[in-house]
Order: sequence, then C-alpha cells, then structure tokens
Amino acid sequence: MKADQQVYRKNFVLVVAFLVLISLSLIAALLLGFNLTKKYVENEFYSAKINVQEEIVKPYEDFFQNKIPEISFYQGYLDSVSVVKYVDTVLKRFDFVTKVVFYDTEISNHQISDGLKMGNMAVSPRSVLQFKRNIKPDSVVLYKSSLPNTLSIKNSDEFNKMAIRFASFIEAVDTAKALSNDDIFYNISPSKITYMNIPRREELKIFKDLMKKSVPVSPLYQEDILTFYLEPQLLKIKNTHPELYQKISIKPLVYESIDTNPNLIATDIALPGALADYKLYFSSYRDYLNKEIARRFLPIAIALILIYGVLVTVAYLIFRNLNINSKMFKLQYDFINNLTHEFKTPVSVIKIAGNNIRSSHELTNVERKHYGKILDEEADKLNDLMNKLLSFTQIENRSIKLKYEEISLEVFIQNVIDTYQLKHPDFDIDCAIDDVGYFKSDPVLLASVFSNLIDNAYKYSPADRKQLDIRVRKAKRNIEFVFTDSGIGIPASEINNIFRKFYRVQSQYNQQGSVGLGLAFCKELLNFMNGDIFVTSVVNKGSVFTVTLPFEV
Amino acid sequence: MFNIKPIYGIILLMAFVGCRRPERAKRVPLEVFFRNPVKTSFLISPDGKCISYLQPYNNRLNIYVQDSAGKTCRLTNETDRNIASYFWVDNDKLFYMKDRAGKENVRLYAVDKNTASLMDFMPQGDYKIKILNNYRVIDNQLLIALNIRDSSLFDVYRLDIKTYKLKQAAKNPGNITEWYADEKGKIRLAEASDGVNETLLFRLDETKKFSPVLTNNFKTSIAPIGFCFSDKDRACIYALSNQNRDKTALVQFNCKTGKEERTLFSHKDVDVSEGSYSSKLMKVTYAVYENFKKQRHYLDDSVKAIFQDLEAKLPGSEVRIVSRDSTDRKLIVRTFNDKTPGAYYKYTLNDKNLVKLSDVNPSLPESEMSEMKPVQFTSRDGLIINGYLTLPKSSDGKNLPVVVIPHGGPASRTSWGYNSEVQFLANRGYAVFQINYRGSTGYGKNFWKSGFKSWGTTIQNDITDGVKWLISQDIANPKRIAVYGSGFGGYAALSGLCFQPGLYSCGASYSGITNMFTYIKGIPPYYKPYLQMFYEMVGNPEKDADYFRTYSPVFHTDKINVPVLLAQGAKDPRANVNETNQFVKELKKKGVPITYILKENEGHIFNNQENREEFYRKLEKFLSDNMNK
Repeated sequence: MKADQQVYRKNFVLVVAFLVLISLSLIAALLLGFNLTKKYVENEFYSAKINVQEEIVKPYEDFFQNKIPEISFYQGYLDSVSVVKYVDTVLKRFDFVTKVVFYDTEISNHQISDGLKMGNMAVSPRSVLQFKRNIKPDSVVLYKSSLPNTLSIKNSDEFNKMAIRFASFIEAVDTAKALSNDDIFYNISPSKITYMNIPRREELKIFKDLMKKSVPVSPLYQEDILTFYLEPQLLKIKNTHPELYQKISIKPLVYESIDTNPNLIATDIALPGALADYKLYFSSYRDYLNKEIARRFLPIAIALILIYGVLVTVAYLIFRNLNINSKMFKLQYDFINNLTHEFKTPVSVIKIAGNNIRSSHELTNVERKHYGKILDEEADKLNDLMNKLLSFTQIENRSIKLKYEEISLEVFIQNVIDTYQLKHPDFDIDCAIDDVGYFKSDPVLLASVFSNLIDNAYKYSPADRKQLDIRVRKAKRNIEFVFTDSGIGIPASEINNIFRKFYRVQSQYNQQGSVGLGLAFCKELLNFMNGDIFVTSVVNKGSVFTVTLPFEV
Repeated sequence: MFNIKPIYGIILLMAFVGCRRPERAKRVPLEVFFRNPVKTSFLISPDGKCISYLQPYNNRLNIYVQDSAGKTCRLTNETDRNIASYFWVDNDKLFYMKDRAGKENVRLYAVDKNTASLMDFMPQGDYKIKILNNYRVIDNQLLIALNIRDSSLFDVYRLDIKTYKLKQAAKNPGNITEWYADEKGKIRLAEASDGVNETLLFRLDETKKFSPVLTNNFKTSIAPIGFCFSDKDRACIYALSNQNRDKTALVQFNCKTGKEERTLFSHKDVDVSEGSYSSKLMKVTYAVYENFKKQRHYLDDSVKAIFQDLEAKLPGSEVRIVSRDSTDRKLIVRTFNDKTPGAYYKYTLNDKNLVKLSDVNPSLPESEMSEMKPVQFTSRDGLIINGYLTLPKSSDGKNLPVVVIPHGGPASRTSWGYNSEVQFLANRGYAVFQINYRGSTGYGKNFWKSGFKSWGTTIQNDITDGVKWLISQDIANPKRIAVYGSGFGGYAALSGLCFQPGLYSCGASYSGITNMFTYIKGIPPYYKPYLQMFYEMVGNPEKDADYFRTYSPVFHTDKINVPVLLAQGAKDPRANVNETNQFVKELKKKGVPITYILKENEGHIFNNQENREEFYRKLEKFLSDNMNK
C-alpha cells in the first residue's frame, strides 16, 4: 500500500541533526573568532605604532612646517631685539627645543673679519646670540662684529655650513625662474636644524652678481640664520593606543631591551628629520595584550551566541508549526472518515431498501409505503448533508447573498419549535420573547442557525433532560437569542475549540451523525450577518449559547 | 460665459506675479566685461591726417593706422604681449612700449607708418624708461629718462628720432627723482630727494648749474606743471602745491624767490588734482578737482567753449580730450560715464564736426549696467569718509549681498567712472561698496597723512565702519558680505578676515600684500631714495617689528575661519611666492576652504586675457558658492 507514504511524517532525527550541526558551527565560529582576534591584536601591536608616532611627532612637524618658515616672514629684518620675541614663542611652545642660536647675518662684498667669503660675496654675522630657558643675561651674546676676530669655530660651525650651502645655491640659481625648492634653506642634522630666511628673487640676483662680478661696494643685505638645538627625549609622549602599549619611551636608535621575560613583546619606530637618531620604543606583556584580546572578542562571542539563539528559536517555531499542521491534517482526515461514514449509512440503507424491493416478488401496500418512506428519508438526509457542505463552502467563500426580510419573531420561532416537536416529541422547548416583535434578517440563514443550535441541544442532552429554553431580548442595538440547555455541557478545555471546523468534543453522543461542522457553520453564518456567538457551559449541567445580531427594523 | 472668468483671473494673476518680481538685469557674459577693447588708445598724427589706435590682433593689442582716405593697416605684429602704450613722434613715425614677460619694465620700439618697418634701437639691458616733457618732440629730439647706468638713478637723454642716437642731456648726481623741461626742451627744473625731504632745483638755462629753490618734507609737495612765460620771467612756473595749505591748489610760483605768487584755483573740500597745460599758449587752460567725480575749472575761454560744445553734443557723458594735432584744431575726444567705458570721437574745431570713431566695448549693453552713486558716512572717530555704492540694476536696494572693494595704495583713491570689475559684480547681483578710507589721496594733506602707519588700525576701522554703516542702512545683508581687493586692497581684505571675525562671509585677495616686512623689503632699488619715506608712511621693519607682526595677515592665519581666494603672479616682485604658498599651506592645514590661483608667468597684475578671465570666473564662483546665493 502506498498509503503509508502519505502519512504525515515527523522526523525527529532531522531536528536533532540540525541542532547538533548548528551547535558545532557555533563552537567552530567561536574558536575561529578568538584566533582571528588574537592575530588582529598582535598585528595591530606592530602597525599602530605609526599612529602613535604621528601623534608624538605632531608638535615637531608643526615646529618644522610652520614655526621655522615664519622666520622668512620677517624678510631678514630680525635683529637682536625682535628675535627675542620670536625665540620666546618657540621656547614656550616647543619643549623639545633646548637652545636657539641666532646669527644676524649680513651679505655684501665688503672685507670681513669673521664669516665666509665666496667669490666676492661675503656672508658674515653681525652678531651671534644664544637663547635657552633660564639663561643668564650675560651669556646671551656669543659674538659681536664690533669685536672682530672673536668668533670661535665652535660657535660658527652651523653658520659656516649654512653659508656654504647658500653660496653653492647662489652659484647655480636661475634667477629668471620663480624659486620653487625652499628646502635648500634648511640644514638638518641630528638634533639640530639650521634655517635661513628665504631671500627675494631680486636679492638672489644681486647676490649672484656680488659673487661673480666685481661691482662697487654694495650695501649690507640683512638675512637671518637661526639654529635650533633639539632634545628628542623631551618630546611629550602621548599613548593614543593605551590598550595596546603598556609602555612607550624615546630611546636612542641603538637601544635594545635586556628584559629576558619571554612574555615581553616589543617593537620600535625611528623618529623623523632632525630627531632621527632616536626611536620610539613600545613594549607590552602578553597578559596585557590578552586582556585586550578578551575585550575585543567579547562582542564577537555575544553576536555568535545571539545568532545561535535566533537559529534555535526559528527551528523551534518551524517544529511547532509542523506540529499544528499535523493536527490539522488529522482533523481533515477524521472529517473525511466521518463524512464517508455519514454518506455510507443512508447509502447502505437505500441499497438495502433497493435490494429488498428488487428481490421481493410482490410488495404489499404497507411494504411499499415503508420502503418509500425509508428512501425518501435517506435521500433527504443525503440532500441535507450535501446542502450543509455546499452552503458552508459558499459562506466561507462569501458567494451567497443576504436576503433581508421582515421577520415576526413569534411566528418564526413557533414554526421552528413546532417542527422539532413533531420530530422529537420528547424534546421540551420553551420560548420567551421580551418586548421584540419584528426585526429584519435573512430567514433562511437564521433558521439554519436555529436548527443547528436546537439540533445540538437535543443531541447532547441525556434522554431524561432533553429540554431547551430560548429567550429573545434586546440588548442595546443588538438582538440576543439565548439558548439554554441542560445537556452534558462542554469541558472548559474544549470551549475554545468547538467553533473550529471539523472539531468534535469526544463523547458517547457523537459516535455517528456528526461531522463537527454545525457550530463552525453557525459562527461563519453569524459573522457573515455581522452577528456573533458565545458560549458558557458547565459540565453535566448544561450550556448557554448566546447569539447576537444587529437589531434592524 | 461663466468659464471665461477664471481665465481672466489667471491672466490677472500672471500679470500680478510678473509685476511683483523685480525685473532683474540681464546676465551679461563674463567675457564681455573683460575682453580686450576692440579699438582703443586713439591718437591723431601731428599733421592731423592719420588716426591711429590699438586693436587686438591674435588676442594682443597692436597698432593700426587709418589715413585720411580711410585706408587702414596694421603696423605691428606683437603676439606675446599687449602693446602698453604708443605715441606719434612725427608724421611718419610712432614709438611704442611693450612689456616683457615676467618683468615690470617696458621696452621702447619705433615703427614707420608707411613701411611698417620695426626698429629695436634701445640698448639692451634691464632698465626702466620714462618719457619726459609730455611726449613732445622738439627739433627731432625726444627727452627720456633711463636708469641704465645705475638702477636707482634716472639720467636724462636726448633721443634723436631720425638717427636713434642717444645723447646724455643731464647726469643724475644721485638724488634727482624728477626732471622737467621747458617748452624748448631745455631741462630747467628738477626735484631732488634724500628720501624724506624734497628739494626743488631750478636753473635759468642748461649751461648753468641747478640751484636749490626750497626744501620740503615729502608730505608737502610742489609739483611743477609748466613754465608761465618763455622769456619775460624765466623763473615763473605753474605748480600744484600744498605748501602751507591742506588742499592742493593750482598756483603760480617763482623759482628765483622760492615764493608763491598767486593762487589760480583752489577748492575748499578737495585737492586740485591736475592742471591742463598748453605749451602753445603757455598757460594752464583748466584745473581738475575731484569731489564725487572729476570736474573742470576753466582758466581759458576758448578751451571752455570747446568743452561746452562737446558736452552739449554728448549729453550724459564725461568728456576728455585725449589727443590733438600740432595745430590743436583736430582733436580726439573720449567719452565715458559710470555705465560705459564710452567711445572715441574725432572733433574738428573749424566746423565743430564730431565723428564717432569707435566704442571702446561695443558688446557691452549700457542699459544693463548699474549706477555708481557717491555715499558718505562718519567713522567712529568722527571723520567723514567718502565712498561709492553701486547697486545691482533694478534691485530694491535692501538686504543685498555686498562685495566691499578697498582700493590699493593706500595712497590712491577710487574715482567715479566705468569699472568693469564693479559692473561685472553688480551684474551678478552684488552691491559693490568702494571706500576712500583715510590715507586716500585727493582729500587734502591731513586726510592722507592720517593713514600713515595705520595699516590694519584706523584705515581698517574706516572700512569696518563703512560696512557697519551699510548694514545699519539695511542695504547690506549682514550674513552676505565679502571683501575683495588687490595690492593694499588685498591686504585690507585679508586683514578684515583676520581681525574682524564674523563681519565677512568670505574674502579674496588679488596680488594682495600679506606681509608688511615683505612689502618694505620689496621696494625696488630705484625707489631706495624713498625708503625713509616709506618707513614714515608704513613703518620701519626693525623699529616697528611688533606693529608689523601684529597687523600682517601672514602671522595670523590661525584667525581666519571663512573661505579665502588668493590670486598671485609668481613673478610679482612685490610679493614673495614662497610666503603666499606658506600662507595657503597653513590655511589648508587648518581646513579653511581656499581657492589659490597661481600663474607662473604673471607679475603683479594678470596681463593675459585668458588669465584675467580665469581669475574673474573663479572669483564669480567663489563668491556665489560662499555667499549662499
């Protein structure tokens, strides 16, 4: 039989396999994440030093790019008085500048006692001054041109270097072109920067003439040369990555740590420009880095676990839906079973009656009437069953139309009761109408609701308590029909299910002749007519069904 | 019938909307404002038969000559630079000056009218040339001054226009700054300067030595205009003098006694700026003074009659005589007003016939230009300051975006008349405000002197007060004010951005001074005698180093927070390009939006039309971007 292939399947193995798989994935992802984070942090330890260096060197860059070129703004007009102001701002702002030497320079073709002469061009200091923090006033002046031949080689070393550099520049300069490279006016050596103000293009032309030609005695052209002495160790250390570096220090270029602890990790980077014989030295212990690794891994782990949680929840929800669907499947299956059964009884009765009629040679009048009645009744049953199914689908699809008519309640209810009492003489139906005469509704549909409810009341009542009380009353804008029976009642656990399609409360009263459509059909009908239905019930005492419909006259 | 009504309503509404929106001036293309003039610098030949003019050829100004038959030909073939100026030396020959790439010096050439043959006759070298004695050629000789021997000194030479021989006429002993010749071309007056004091020197004839007449501080000036008589009194001269008075007057002065003999004309409010001297009549025919615009005070009836006839024939225009033939009977007349650069006319005295030669800029629609109105306000210390306000055409004059343009100098002034830059900005919807702040010339000695050593201080206050006055009059929208200038104007603009935060929404400097140290250092060698004077006017870079540092924008880039436009010629001898570069670098580093136009082959002023147009195009965009138009 192929039937068992169509049976609704629940594969628990699949569910378990899924759970195991995602749990394994979780563990793998956690491990991978941890390792990557560790690698990343270690790499960063070696690469982030550039950012730290940039930050530490910023004041130096500012000094080098902005403050030093400012000398050129003075166009050589700095003298022993005005230079003090400039130098003060330098010493105040830049801690790493320890000493400034100012050469108030004159360029001419005169005879000179101190300074350099190249061709006919003489570059000589008019005065040499030095500035430090807290310097004694009497040690400021190193040289004055009023005292010739007193300039020591030590004090003129930087000056001479610059003068030679400048002279070789003048020798080669193309004065027709705009001056493009100004780096010539910097002389950078370890811990020292010498700068000469950039002369104007016109002056360069004059200097070239001074050097190469013999021209009459020239005026003195003022230029400024300043030497800055730097102490890299005084640079302020700013640890912009405190999470990576436990300790940052400025060390000479040749420094190596003698700490033998294998857990110590270190790296270094050289300082730029005039600071180049020093480096930044970074070190951390492994524990310190581990803390950082843990800190960065935490959010990853949380995210992974969250994803895992979501997956499990989704899996649970899918499982639950499958369960519900399987129940639905079972209900429909039962329904078909019942329906078949329902059809089978009248059909087999008809078949027996047919057989009997065929096999008997002669039918007595009583027999004919008996079989006729049987056939008629069973055909009615089938018809009724089919009507119910049809109208139910129609209602569900909203393909029928309401036909409102004015109904006299008293006549309408009395007709229904009369029919039932003819059918079931043992059924005791009581009716009371409070203050309502007429109202508008579709009589066919309303009768359908009535017959369903009355049917149920009869069906689910023990033989000795077959009684029903119908009350009609007005409630605000609605009309209420209350059906109170003394039947077996509905257990509280089932009360929410009784209006569902194909649902039947399991009891001895519905072994046959019930499809579980009645109440569902009523509810659909009432919804369709803008009404509603409620139930309250006590087991073995009885149930109260309340139907409300909008009151229209 | 009924459905017609709403249509009327819509038409009415449209008409209403149409009226409500003020009719805006048509947007005139940028090129129209700044294109080289089609024909300009008209001159008439000494015999009155030919008319010459400059006209672009391959985008550069060249000389064209039109003879009496109307035949026109081009004489020169200059394609690298414009011809800066030219003049007739006789009926067949013209001299012209052309500047050389990247140098501020011009060079003199000659060209023959008939053969168009070019002569480059001047000695080679880097020197300046000044034409003396009002371009007059006497006995085939032209007087010129050259600093060829020593770049700081000008000697006088006689240039033979036929043989091109140069003969020294007077050697500069070292302190002469100006030379003057009489109607016979004899050098009889000179001005010597020791930097601060100026001495007037005089001699009766060239065989004698100069003797000093009187010495004045540079703040007092006696500027000779011409000699009064040829033989009667050889010591009498006409001069513009502010000796013992605040406002310069036109006087008659005796060089023998050193005394002023009489005042020919003076004005109570402003200086006499000019005297028109006729060497034929040997008299000053009219004096020019400039209150809100240049006005003439006539001293000769025949000249007055000529001008009155011209003014009657050309109503609504200012009239200038720019060239005359040797008989003074045929004239070239130039007109202009605030809305148009005007036109050239030929005027014949005999029949009073006026013939239009050419519009200076025919493509410029005069009707779209804006009126330049004189305005006055009082500065915080009670000084009355004059200026000009050009409102965009058809604006309601309220709540406008304003471009403030401080003039250069500062010893200069803004004058009334057509200015393409101002009209361009007005056409783009900006009100243009020009201020003759203290230190400007033309308003008397004291007003000029009050601008000494006041860069960034009281001069800047006058500009600031002017802007505040404009705001208080509801003319300026206080959130949409830009400041723009060149030279000292550029300094004032940058200084305004540095020291008046919040006043301007952006600023532009065209070859502006950023550093007063550089400015003083950049005084060219031939100006060296004037150095002391500059120290007095601007400041001494050593003694006033603090003042220089405090008020030079280059030291204060950190105070600038609004967008800046800088334009600079790399060969500008007055600025240091490295310094401008540094300025730009620092602003950029600070994150201030900066537009930098650096032209490798330009000097203080962008000479090439392409560069000029590029500058104005960028200026236009810069202003519209930063004044949320």
